[in-house]
Amino acid sequence: MAGGRLVKKIAFLNPPPIYVEIGQSLLKAFRENAGMELPLERLPDGRLTAPCREKTALALKKFLQPKGWQPRAGAFCAIGARGVSLRQLSIPAGAKEEFHQRLLLQIEAEFPLPPDELAWGWQPLGETRPSNGAITKQDLLVAAVKKEVVADYQELLAACGTNPVFTLAALARSRLCQRPPDTCAMLDIGHSQSELTCFEKGIPTVSRIIFWGGEHDSSPADAGLVALVQILKDGLTGTKLFVSGNNISDEFTARLAKALGNGWQCERLEVAGGDGRSAAIAGLQKFAEQDGSPPLAIRIKQSSGAASLATADVKKWATHAVLLAVVVLLLPFAEALLFKPHLAKKVSTFKTAAARLTVIDRELDFLQYLKQSQPPYLDALYVFSKSAPSGSHFDTLSMNSHGEVSLRGSFRDGQQVADFRSKLIASGFFANVTVEEQTPTPDRQKVNVRISAQEKPAAQLQSLAIGPTADEIAKMKNEKGAPSGASPSSPASAPPAAAHSSRKETQ
Amino acid sequence: MRPLTEREKRIVRIAGAGVAIYLALFYGCRFLEKQRSEYRQLVAEAGNLRRQALPYEGRVQVVQKLMEDFRMDPAKLKKATVVADASAAIQNRAKNGGVQLGPIRESMTSGQGRGLATVQLEGSGQIPAVLAFLGGLDRIGFPVIVDSAQLTAVTGRPGQVKMNLTIIILDFEGWKVTEAPHA
Repeated sequence: MAGGRLVKKIAFLNPPPIYVEIGQSLLKAFRENAGMELPLERLPDGRLTAPCREKTALALKKFLQPKGWQPRAGAFCAIGARGVSLRQLSIPAGAKEEFHQRLLLQIEAEFPLPPDELAWGWQPLGETRPSNGAITKQDLLVAAVKKEVVADYQELLAACGTNPVFTLAALARSRLCQRPPDTCAMLDIGHSQSELTCFEKGIPTVSRIIFWGGEHDSSPADAGLVALVQILKDGLTGTKLFVSGNNISDEFTARLAKALGNGWQCERLEVAGGDGRSAAIAGLQKFAEQDGSPPLAIRIKQSSGAASLATADVKKWATHAVLLAVVVLLLPFAEALLFKPHLAKKVSTFKTAAARLTVIDRELDFLQYLKQSQPPYLDALYVFSKSAPSGSHFDTLSMNSHGEVSLRGSFRDGQQVADFRSKLIASGFFANVTVEEQTPTPDRQKVNVRISAQEKPAAQLQSLAIGPTADEIAKMKNEKGAPSGASPSSPASAPPAAAHSSRKETQ
Repeated sequence: MRPLTEREKRIVRIAGAGVAIYLALFYGCRFLEKQRSEYRQLVAEAGNLRRQALPYEGRVQVVQKLMEDFRMDPAKLKKATVVADASAAIQNRAKNGGVQLGPIRESMTSGQGRGLATVQLEGSGQIPAVLAFLGGLDRIGFPVIVDSAQLTAVTGRPGQVKMNLTIIILDFEGWKVTEAPHA
């Protein structure tokens, strides 16, 4: 089932076949459910005129709309009897090459033109039969027509993206006959002329054009019908006549049978009406559906006719394969070819903008240096104000960016000096605190001191939590304006708000 | 000269086509290979540039933060005017903060250091005003560092101090990156 589905999918990729009947003055084409009819103009030698070829090709292309990605559509073509010769030949059987050579010789002998100037085809008639006791022979039916005529058709249809196969229209029509007798005739009535084919043992023996068409049927007093009967009686064998053609009625066939007399039976071939429909096209459809191809295929070149079309397809696929291979080979380079200009532009733009990176480096270095070089003066003042006991007085306080701090002031007694020093050391802010001079005042009420200290390095100071806590801030807000620690005249008695802000900034 | 037969013409045509295909493949492949090699080089270069630029994403953020903190864009500072502008900003801040300024002395430093000029100023005011002035000097919009500060109590005026500051104004135009900054 899976294989069947696959075949269906592949068949879906193939375009549907087209059925064509090429008459003397009309070309009918039918595909799926659509058909068209095109008038034909011919030269005296039977070939199509150049304008007609162009016009027909254009119309067929429009009708078929061939797609480049699809393989060529099969075109089953039925050609009229004009210029067609039919021969029954008997050829000694043999190897394929040998048989072909003998067939060519026979054709050359039987037909007025050499095989090179003919488009011809053959079909075997029955099994091989022994002849003269030893040599077996094969009976064949050969149909031939002038090569140029079929070549024109082939060129025309090939240009429309189809792969044409030609056969006789009469053979195609015969496919529609229900249980035909061994000997019968078939009349296809056209507008101005008709085609008469005689069959013996189911094999077409004669196919010719008679200049009587459907237009004569309406002539008064059956004068036209009488003329047709006269023509038919001259060339007919058997008693069964199949009639086909557009607008042919059962009443006409009855009249024709009556006019023929002598037990003749006329039967109309039923064909659906519409553009592009005919008995030949219906027969071709039957051939295609049941046999796959018509039995008597007329070819321009016997050995390489079909092969040339196959070669054309092979060439097409080979071209596609080569293109695909080229694409596969180029694919690794495609990225380079496509994106290189864009990438080069981007890299160039980035390089131009890279000068800005140097500026960023300079700015960062500069700003970081500026930040690291800001001395923590307010932190130092906060530590002093927290450590100073009540009653102490600072005259001068000096600080510099190297972390050196010197202080001159007075305390109540030596114990306060010692406590102050201990608190400074305990704060962790200073690496060392030195009381350089401690002198009692003459009245022994105070002690004048000169203290120097060295701040710790900035990296160590950053880890310290210097500044008031949240509770202290709240308390200080309530006691705003009140002195803290040192006397109001002391430069170290920093207001809590200022100290807090210094803490924030330092952090 | 003998005219070429059809077979010879065909051979010549095929040979010509073969040579043309060979040349096209030879030079085409060389061209394509060169393009691809250059493209790979560009890709590698772009990768290097990308790696080089990657840390700058963080650096730029740090720079922006510092610029906001100092309220300053160093790239906009002009060497010719930065000292005057900074001095004016300092004086303006002192005036607005309630600090009375005394003598101010500016001196240009030698070209070897990082400082462009040194400003020595004296002033006096209430302790909160002086401390607020001292704490806000880094946000005046100019690169200044207080090199030294001396606070002296004013006799007979409780709560008032006299200050003596030495301020260094840095030079951005002459700034040289000594080491890779830590982003």
